[in-house]
Amino acid sequence: MRDVSMGQYYPTKSPVHKMDARAKLVFVILYIVMLFLVPSLDNYLGGGGRLGEYMVKSGLSFGVVTLFLLVAIIFSKVPLMKVLKSVKAVVYLVIITAVIMLLFYSGKANHVYATWGIITISLEGIVSAIVMAVRLFLLVMGPALLSLTTTPVELTDGIESLLSPLKLIKIPVHDIAIIMSIALRLIPTMIEETDKITNAQKARLAEFDDGNVFKKAKAMIPVLVPLLTSSFRRADELAYAMDSRCYGGAKNRTRMRVMRLSYRDAIALVVIAAVFFAVLTFVYDYFGVATFISEWAYTLL
Amino acid sequence: MSIVIKNLTHVYSPKTPFERIALDDVTFTINDGDYFGIIGHTGSGKSTLISHLNGLIKLTKGSINVNGIDLGKKYDYKKLRSEVGMVFQYPEYQLFDETVESDVSFGPRNMGLSEDEIKDRAAWAIKLVGLNYDKIKNRSPFELSGGQMRRVALAGVLAMRPKVLVLDEPTAGLDPRGKKEILDLTLKIKEQGPTIIMISHNMDEIAAYCNRIAVLGAGKLEGVFSPSELFGQSEIIERLGLALPTPALIAKKLRDRGVSVTASDMDGLVQAVLSAKGGNYA
Repeated sequence: MRDVSMGQYYPTKSPVHKMDARAKLVFVILYIVMLFLVPSLDNYLGGGGRLGEYMVKSGLSFGVVTLFLLVAIIFSKVPLMKVLKSVKAVVYLVIITAVIMLLFYSGKANHVYATWGIITISLEGIVSAIVMAVRLFLLVMGPALLSLTTTPVELTDGIESLLSPLKLIKIPVHDIAIIMSIALRLIPTMIEETDKITNAQKARLAEFDDGNVFKKAKAMIPVLVPLLTSSFRRADELAYAMDSRCYGGAKNRTRMRVMRLSYRDAIALVVIAAVFFAVLTFVYDYFGVATFISEWAYTLL
Repeated sequence: MSIVIKNLTHVYSPKTPFERIALDDVTFTINDGDYFGIIGHTGSGKSTLISHLNGLIKLTKGSINVNGIDLGKKYDYKKLRSEVGMVFQYPEYQLFDETVESDVSFGPRNMGLSEDEIKDRAAWAIKLVGLNYDKIKNRSPFELSGGQMRRVALAGVLAMRPKVLVLDEPTAGLDPRGKKEILDLTLKIKEQGPTIIMISHNMDEIAAYCNRIAVLGAGKLEGVFSPSELFGQSEIIERLGLALPTPALIAKKLRDRGVSVTASDMDGLVQAVLSAKGGNYA
C-alpha cells in the first residue's frame, strides 16, 4: 500500500509536468472529444457508409491520436509502462466487452464468416470490437497521463480556476474546490491509516482473503469501524485547526501558487489543435483524404 | 527459543523514485526472557524491523528465525502471529467490536479455539491488564477512557497468549501516571512468561525496564548493549543524537564536575553517589 501513498503522480522534471494544470485539463477534455469524433460502425453503416472506408477513417484517426499520446508520453519522461499500467484496471472489462461484441454483433453484417445459433462472427463484429477496445484504452490512458504528470493539488486548483465562471450563478466553486483538495489530501492519510489498522488486525489473525464475497465483506468490519471513527476524529481536528487559523472561505483569499500560462501551453495548444483537425479531416473526409486513401487501399487489394 | 535475525535488509518501493532503504544488513539475537529495547530516531527502521517479526512485512533479504520458525521458508502464518503478539502505536484505534469482551476475543476466535477457551482467555487478559472484568466486559470499547481503551487493546493481544510480545511505543500520548501504569503492567505481563520487545523514544523507560537494548540509526544496527554499557559510555548516544536517561544524565553532570560515578538507573545512581561520597550508608 505504501507504494500508492503519493497517488498516481510520477515526480520528475519534464515540459509536460511544468505545463499549466488548467491547460492540461482542457487538453485532456479535447483529447476525449477527439476519441468520440469517430462514429461507431453501426451508426456509420446506418448512414450509408462503406465498411472499408470506415476501417480507413477510424484507423487513421486512432492512429494519429495514439501517435499524439506517445509523443506526449515521451515528452513527459514518464515510463511507458506506468501509463500502460493504468489500463490494468479496465483490461478485463474491455476484453469481455470486446468478445461479447464480436460474438453477438447486432448490426447489419455483410461479411459473415460463421454462425452458430445466436452467435455470429463477422468482419463488422471484429472491426467494431477492435474500435471499441482501442477507444476505451486510449480513453483511460490520456487522463492517466494527466494524473501522472500533475499533482492532485495542481489539479484541484486548475478545476477551481476553470469552474470560476460558475461563481456568477452563485455556485460556491471555492468551497467545492477546498472540499475536493481536502479529500484528495486525506486519501494518502486514509490509506496509511487503513494499512496500520489492517496490520493490527492481521496481527490478531484476521483473514481478509478467505471465503466468498459475504465473508470477505464481513472480514472488513474490523478495519472499517476503526477507520470510520478515526476519519470523524480527523475531520473534527482539521475543522478546529482551520477555524483557529481564521479560515473563512474564498473571500479576499490569495494564492501561494499563482498559475500562469506559458509558451509550453501555447505549443501544446498548437499541437493538439493540429491533431484535432487531423481527426476531423479523416472522419469527415475533408479534402477527400480518407476517400483517396481508401480508394488506394482498394486498388491494392 | 529465541529470535535470530541475520543480515536483514529491507527496501521500500524498490526500483521506483520512492526507493528507500529501511533496514541495512541488521544482525542480532533476542534471547528468551529478554525485556528487549529498540531505540532510534523516527525513520531509523524500528517499525519495519518489528513488522518482520510476525510476517506483516515479507522477508526479502536476510534471514529471521522466530522460536524455530524460519521466515525465509513457507511457514504457518497463524502459528507465527499467535506466537508473536504485536501491539502497535496507539493500539486503542484498532478497537472495533460492540463489547469489550468480544473485541478481546477477536484474536483467540481467529485462532480457532473453543468458545470456553476464548471466554477464559478474554477474562484472564482483561483481568491481567488491571480492568474489572465483570464491570467492563459488556461495555462498548468506544465509551471507555483513553487509558482504559489502551488496556483493552493490549488485552486483545495478550488473550492470544503470545510467547513474544512486541510493544511499539506503548506509552505514547499518555500522562506520566498512565505511562508508569502501562510500564508496570508490562512487568506484570512478563511474569506470565513472554519475551518482551519494546520500542520507545523515552530513554528513562528503556533504561529502567530493558535488560538489552538495540540501537538503530538510519537502518543500520549500531549495536546491542546492556543499559549500563549504553548509558554509561554515552558516546554512542551522543553520536546518534539521542537523549540520555535522567540518572545517566545526572551521572554525566557529576563526572563533568569531577565526581567519578557511572549509572544508568536511579538505584545505580544512588549507590554510585553514596560510594563516591565514601561513607557507609545502609
